[in-house]
Amino acid sequence: MNQPRPVPIKLAALLLLWVLTLALPASAATVSVQAPPDNDGLNLDVSWTESTDPAGWGVLRAEAGSSEWTLLKLLPGDAREHSDKVTTDVWNHPPADEYQYKVVALRAPVLLDEIEESEQVATVLAAGVASEPGTGSPKGSFIRTGLKSKNYGPLVMLLIILAVGVMMQKFTADVRAGKEVFIRRIPGIDAIEEGIGRATEMGKPILYVPGIDELQDIQTIASMLILGQVAEKVAEYQSDIIVSCCIPIVREVADEVVKSGFYQAGYPDAYNPRNTRFISSEQFAFCAGTNGIIYREQPATNIYLGRFFAESLILAETGFVNKSIQIAGTAEATQLPFFIAACDYTLIGEELFAVSAYLSKDPRLVSSLKASDWVKLFVVVCLIVGTVLTSFGLPIINNLFAISGG
Amino acid sequence: MKLDTLVRFQNMDRRWIFLGMGIAILIPMLFPMTLPFKVDERVQSLYDAVEEIPAGSTVFISADFDPASRPELEPFFRANLHHLLRKDVKFVAATLWPSSPPLVMPIFEELTAEYGKEYGKDWCFLGFKDGKELAIKAIGENIPETFPQDIKGNKIGDLAVTRGYKQAKDFAMIINISAGFPGTREYVLQIQGQYDLSIASATTAVSGPDYIPFYKAGQLNGLSAGMPGSAQYELLVFPDGPPEGVRLLATQSVNVLNVGHAFIIILIVLGNIAFFVTRQAEEVE
Amino acid sequence: MRSTIPLVLTFVIGLFMVGEYFIPHWRYHQFTQVFLEWGLILAAAAFLLGLFNLVQVNLPKVVNKEEDWGYKLVMLAALVFTLVVGFMGGTDRLSNGQAYKWLFDFVFVPLNATMFALLAFYIASAAFRAFRARNLEATVLLVAAIIVMVARVPLGEDLPLVGEKLPQFMNWIMDVPNIAARRAIFIGAALGAVSTGLRVILGIERSHLGSD
Repeated sequence: MNQPRPVPIKLAALLLLWVLTLALPASAATVSVQAPPDNDGLNLDVSWTESTDPAGWGVLRAEAGSSEWTLLKLLPGDAREHSDKVTTDVWNHPPADEYQYKVVALRAPVLLDEIEESEQVATVLAAGVASEPGTGSPKGSFIRTGLKSKNYGPLVMLLIILAVGVMMQKFTADVRAGKEVFIRRIPGIDAIEEGIGRATEMGKPILYVPGIDELQDIQTIASMLILGQVAEKVAEYQSDIIVSCCIPIVREVADEVVKSGFYQAGYPDAYNPRNTRFISSEQFAFCAGTNGIIYREQPATNIYLGRFFAESLILAETGFVNKSIQIAGTAEATQLPFFIAACDYTLIGEELFAVSAYLSKDPRLVSSLKASDWVKLFVVVCLIVGTVLTSFGLPIINNLFAISGG
Repeated sequence: MKLDTLVRFQNMDRRWIFLGMGIAILIPMLFPMTLPFKVDERVQSLYDAVEEIPAGSTVFISADFDPASRPELEPFFRANLHHLLRKDVKFVAATLWPSSPPLVMPIFEELTAEYGKEYGKDWCFLGFKDGKELAIKAIGENIPETFPQDIKGNKIGDLAVTRGYKQAKDFAMIINISAGFPGTREYVLQIQGQYDLSIASATTAVSGPDYIPFYKAGQLNGLSAGMPGSAQYELLVFPDGPPEGVRLLATQSVNVLNVGHAFIIILIVLGNIAFFVTRQAEEVE
Repeated sequence: MRSTIPLVLTFVIGLFMVGEYFIPHWRYHQFTQVFLEWGLILAAAAFLLGLFNLVQVNLPKVVNKEEDWGYKLVMLAALVFTLVVGFMGGTDRLSNGQAYKWLFDFVFVPLNATMFALLAFYIASAAFRAFRARNLEATVLLVAAIIVMVARVPLGEDLPLVGEKLPQFMNWIMDVPNIAARRAIFIGAALGAVSTGLRVILGIERSHLGSD
């Protein structure tokens, strides 16, 4: 880090070399600069042509009209393109309207490790032949269509989201008009209500664990939605619910959700804020603390809904030893086998997201299940047709879902 | 009487199972011996990908593991560092797990010193960054802004090894030692496709099957899962045995897995025999 | 009003954040980034609330000498001790000889490893209980589990007659039926997530605010 600065003689020699190279002809390389499709306004693709491979390339950039060049990267001799991000700090250095690039065909490989950043441009220019500059503007797009790059994924995704929204409206109208919507029975969800009843009969609390991930994870969000319904039922049954949280902000939200549930059920006084607990944000400390709750407070029913990792089996086995009824649900495929082995009921993947609608029986929520089922059918058809077409060398459906790389 | 014993066996106190498991694990630890094993295609592919990195290139190591997963992943981590350092590949490392820096920093220092590598010039450790998926996205977009300083408080711009490496795609490869979340899945979903990155993953045995689809789809260039994966990688890096002073931690522990698995399989088989005998007897009654 | 403001906020910010995927321009991204940073700051600030909650739940039990108050005392003492030690040493706290490093190496590491190691024992007891050939599906599961377990370890490769084929068969189980099931779960869960997200953003789902 604290090496002596290069001696001035070395710098003078480099500058002399650079002045000498000014007299040399420019590299035959022709540089073209283009903004990539669906650009964010910060990226430019630089490409150049050259029939023979030099020892390496140096890529330089400057704002249009400026002579302050910056060395971007040294590339191997067979390279002919470079993707550049023009700024990494948009608040302090917003992108310019236009940039110019030139490439330097190096006569011999350059090692930049020992050279100060301020001297790198001069060194690279001195070590090769620079091309004429090419210019380009990093124009940003305001909508990602994927049409130019043939990455239709975002467009298809937008259509799917819109389709789910439209179908939800249609099915809600159908349900309101008296049309019946069939939802298959999910024993795990039915067991939640049974579990609450059992806890009430036994005079023991219910333990609810909303996973160990952050609040923004969709499984945690789904778990908070279910907690609202569960808390309401618990309040109606005049039972107790302990919520054990691994993330502080999840505890704050869970606390509000439980409070609302008790309020909604008409028993605001029965709500006990001490029962919604933050244990630890450290995975296994949380696991040990929750196991402590299971051993000491002996809940009759344990509900684990959300995103779980290695603690899943440790929690579920402890609950099994405690002879609690255990209902688990997660979309985390690696933990499903553990829950299935140790719990009475396990909600697999998407079933976790259906619980709230199933429990509330609100027509608008039920209609959303129906809508996502139709999209699932669409995906299944795409998978089958896509597999057949791709097998015959027609990757049309693959391209339809491509997000990058064309 | 005999039936009673079988019923009791099926419902035995789990502490007997714990005792049996404890003994099964202790035996190979006290009397070590290593059976020969084969190398999985996914580990071979990982080794080949590292082998193809030209000397002088720089890779990005995301060491996302903690003390809990250390026995499974440290052997890979060490073998991989040996592999990179002896090939003269430089590295920039970081972690998304808060409990990782005190674990990995001593290993970095020990092995780089062994190969005579200089901090800042041949390698650096940027330390921990919170934000999980957001941090990964930021690594894909802009490393100097995500990690303005390294773990020692040096400005990232002052480190020669990071010059010219602003985004994940600038590196020859991303090597992710991943004990779970955030880890390989998030690297693949957040930035692999977007920047067409070359990512190698070493993960725990339980996460391995989850990442196989990524390997099959070409989104990972290699995958080592759990202790067996680490042992196979050690075998590839040191085919003629370890040099003096180097311990092959996973290779030594593979037998513990052998006996532990055998114990569980025997338990399951015995449990099923007892189950069938009692069920038949009940049907006869 | 109590639920209208959260619903409006969820709708506006939710749609704005979904828009990030479809609007690539950096000026838009600049503002979504600010929201994400606010989220991080909120989550970090909630750690303080978490600390208050720990004290609020456990301290009264110690003061009133309620059941198991000894455990709570140990927990609170460990909390204060680790907090104080964490502030000592500054950026050097991870260097050898520092109290924080000592706590990490000799308390945190062994405790963490012990909890994870418990899995080996729990897996054995759960597997013993769960893997019973009660019906056809359970039998298929049992056979597949045993094949994978045997072939996963070097021991399986040395078995007479089947040793050669076993790893290939295990790879087939892991690569074909296993991946098929995982992809199905993944696709189903992703669609469930989209539908849940839409329900919350559009304000159809209000369970978290107390149902109507």
